Amino acid sequence: MTKESTEPLTPPVFHILLALTGGECHGYGIMQDVAQQTNDALQLGPGTLYGCLKRMLAAGLVEESSTADHERRRYYRITTLGQRAARAEAQRLAEAVTAARSKRLLDRVKPSMAGGKS
Amino acid sequence: MAPSMLVRFLCRIYSVLLYAYPREFRLEYGGEMAQLFRDHCSHLARAHDRQRLIRFGLLSAADWLTTTIKERIASVWSAGRLHVKRNFVTEWALTILIYLFATTTLMQAYVVPTGSMEKNLMVGDHMLVDRLVYSDPGPLGAHLLPYREPQRGDIVAFLYPEDVRQTYVKRVIGLPGDRIRLENKQVIRNGHRLIEPYTQHVDESRFPYRDDFPTSPEFDTTPRGLDMFAHHITNGEVIVPPGTLFMMGDNRENSADSRYWGFVPREYVVGKPLFVYWSYDAPTRDLEQWTLTHVLDVAAHFFTRTRWDRTLFVPRSEAAQEQ
Repeated sequence: MTKESTEPLTPPVFHILLALTGGECHGYGIMQDVAQQTNDALQLGPGTLYGCLKRMLAAGLVEESSTADHERRRYYRITTLGQRAARAEAQRLAEAVTAARSKRLLDRVKPSMAGGKS
Repeated sequence: MAPSMLVRFLCRIYSVLLYAYPREFRLEYGGEMAQLFRDHCSHLARAHDRQRLIRFGLLSAADWLTTTIKERIASVWSAGRLHVKRNFVTEWALTILIYLFATTTLMQAYVVPTGSMEKNLMVGDHMLVDRLVYSDPGPLGAHLLPYREPQRGDIVAFLYPEDVRQTYVKRVIGLPGDRIRLENKQVIRNGHRLIEPYTQHVDESRFPYRDDFPTSPEFDTTPRGLDMFAHHITNGEVIVPPGTLFMMGDNRENSADSRYWGFVPREYVVGKPLFVYWSYDAPTRDLEQWTLTHVLDVAAHFFTRTRWDRTLFVPRSEAAQEQ
């Protein structure tokens, strides 16, 4: 984790980056994707979503793409920096999960979620 | 209420609320936020998912509350760093103004204290009232926003004419110019007998004043009711004067309404009940004022005496058929 020295991301930012990893997307698409990723646990309101996007644009994690659909919605795309930040955050989360397992906070294998072994 | 009306109403509110964001943020993202909100609302409405639609509305309201403050702080912060002089007092004043506007002008919470609208509204229903829909839009607003006049059959919240500190909820039976009388509990409007599926009758017996209105004033006729008897009855029928409404409760034998206290001036109309957000089984006197006993009672019986099945119930306006 030392090699990637980005700061921890807030859950909304991390999930927006995850949504954009699948390809460029407009705001509404990001909102739906995040709700799907988290089983509706994280529902981004419009203010949170665009507030995050504004800050992420400023930080260079995402950029506006030139695509525009007939409804003139703006599309966003993840940058290399954004990919690096998302990977670092995923790494952090994975380490947290490992730590939780070693303290027996989590089952080794969750039958409903893990397809094979952990 | 049709889902599209609810969606239109929510979008209308949301586009007003966007003004609480800092100007730069609103100009940059406001349009897309409004569109996202509209898209998701119509998506849920098409799926006939009223619960999730209202939940999304509430989520967006909470989201709006926190992010407006956040963006304001961010804009003041960046202004300070860039040494740009900005009048942030006006900016904050605008936000606070819109907060006040949202909570007092657009909507109002209301609790049903009596059973006069049963079975449609129960004692203890807490609901939100849309204050915009019947408000006077002025010459310009009429073309911009879907305001409308109260129609026959609408459920309407209004100030009680004899005591404007109280708000009542009843159904519009007569518009200006309508001729109204009752014959054995049935309303006859402009000579046509009304078929009113929304009414409830709890008492078999027949009281002339109540069931064959209008007869002659009685002890419980109020001063405004007396005025109605004195000036607005022709050939045994009440004629609704211009600029007023004739209101009746659905629980016909158990409702103090226009039969007793006369017409409701148009300007006393507050709005249209939207939906019940909490229904709690409590006696009338506790609902009119929050007392310590009522607070303790709610704390002790919140789960058992809340009528969960009535949460998000939408009272329906319904036009009666004429025979």
